[in-house]
Amino acid sequence: MRMFDKSAKVVKARNLWVVLVVTILISGAGHAQHQGYHSVTDLAAFKEQFAAGSAKVSSIESSFTQEKVLTALTEKITSTGKFWFKRSNRVRIEYIKPYTYTMIMNGDKMLLRDDQKENRVNVRSNKLFQQINQIMIDCVQGTVLDSKDFNVAVLEDERTYLLEMIPTSKSLREFFSTIVLKVDKKDFTAASIEMNEKSGDSTTILFKDKKLNTQFPDAVFAF
Amino acid sequence: MRCLLFESVIAVLLIGCASDYAHLQKTQASGDCPEKILPLIIETSWYDASVDVLGRHISGLLLIKNMPDNSKRVVFTSEAGLTFFDLSFSKEGTFHTVSVIKQFDRKAVINTLQKDFALILGLPFLNRTVERYTGGDDVYFGFKEKNGTAYFITSKDCASLQRLEWSDGGKRLVTVHTPGSGYPTPAMIEIDHHTYSMKIKLTRIEKE
Repeated sequence: MRMFDKSAKVVKARNLWVVLVVTILISGAGHAQHQGYHSVTDLAAFKEQFAAGSAKVSSIESSFTQEKVLTALTEKITSTGKFWFKRSNRVRIEYIKPYTYTMIMNGDKMLLRDDQKENRVNVRSNKLFQQINQIMIDCVQGTVLDSKDFNVAVLEDERTYLLEMIPTSKSLREFFSTIVLKVDKKDFTAASIEMNEKSGDSTTILFKDKKLNTQFPDAVFAF
Repeated sequence: MRCLLFESVIAVLLIGCASDYAHLQKTQASGDCPEKILPLIIETSWYDASVDVLGRHISGLLLIKNMPDNSKRVVFTSEAGLTFFDLSFSKEGTFHTVSVIKQFDRKAVINTLQKDFALILGLPFLNRTVERYTGGDDVYFGFKEKNGTAYFITSKDCASLQRLEWSDGGKRLVTVHTPGSGYPTPAMIEIDHHTYSMKIKLTRIEKE
C-alpha cells in the first residue's frame, strides 16, 4: 500500500512537471523565436516615436555582416560589406568579402554589379524590385508600419524594438515567411534585418559601426 | 552554275550536320586510367556564380553539398541571400527539386540544370560501361545514357582531366572546363552550351 502511495506521488509529481513545462511552452509560444521580447502596448505612440526618430536621420554609413543559413543542409555563409543610405530614397549595399557585389538604389533606378557585369533596372518596370526597394527604404526610414505589404507586430526589449513583418502580398509571400527588423531604441535605426524563407532558410544582416548624419558624396549612389 | 550552287549548299549542310565526334577512334581500354581520373568526387564548396543565358545575366552564390546519405545538393541563392533553387541528386541516380522559385520553375530550365550539374557531379560516370576513344591529343571516355553520351576527356597520358562533355546524336551539347586546380576542389568551373547561348561560370569561394 505504501509502495502504491509512493508511486502515486511520483506519478503526481511527474504530471505536475509536465503541466508546468507545457504551460511554460504555451505561454512562450506566441513569440518563441523572440526570447526576451514583449509586446509594445501603445502602438500609436511607438509609431509616432519611430517616425520622429527616423526623421532625424538624414544619412547612414555603416558596415554589415550578413549570414545566410541553409537550415536543412546545416550550411551557412557569412559575408561582410558596407552600407550607405541618404534620405530620401538612396541606398548602396556593397558586399566586399568573400565575394564582391554591389546594389545601388537611387530613386526609381537600381544598379546590380557583380564581378562580370552590371545590370541597370528601372524599378518601376518590375513589381518585385519595386517591393524590395520599398522594403529597404521603409525599414531604414521608419515607414514600414505604414506598408500595405506587411502585417507588423511590434515587440521590445531593453535596447531594441522588434518588428515582425508578415507579408500580405502574394509576390512577397512566395519568398518570405517573415521579415524581422530590429531597431535601436537610441537612434531608431535598423540594428538588424532577418529575412526568413518558407523553407526555413534565413538571412540576417547585422549593421555595425553606424555613423549617422555624416557628410559623404552623392557620387556613392551614382551610376 | 545552278548545280555548283546546289552542291555547295549540300556541302555546307553536311559540314553543319557533321558529328563533333566523327574523328574519334574506338580503342581498347587499358590500364587504370578511367578509375584514376574519374571526376566522381567534388568537395562541399560555395561558388560565386555567374550565368549568361540568351542575353540575360544572373549572378549569385552556388553551394555544392555532399550529404551524409551520399546524396548531393545544389543550391543557388542571390548574393543577398534569397534561395532561387535547391536540387537533390540521390546516390541511386534519382533527381528532384527540393525548392525552386517561380521564375526558374520551367521544365526546360530544370532539365538543363539537372543535366549540367549531374555532369559536374560526375553522376553519368557511375556504374556504367565505359567506351574508350582517341582523338588528336585527347582520350575520350564515353558513358551512354538514355538521352545522350557523357564524356570525360583526358590527356593522352591520362595525367590530367581536360574537360567533360554531353553529346547527343554526335552533336556536342555542353562542355565543362575546370581551369586551375581540378577535382575534388575545382577552383573554377565553366559550363558552355553549344546549341544555344548559355554560359555558367563558378568561382570557388574561400570562406573566412
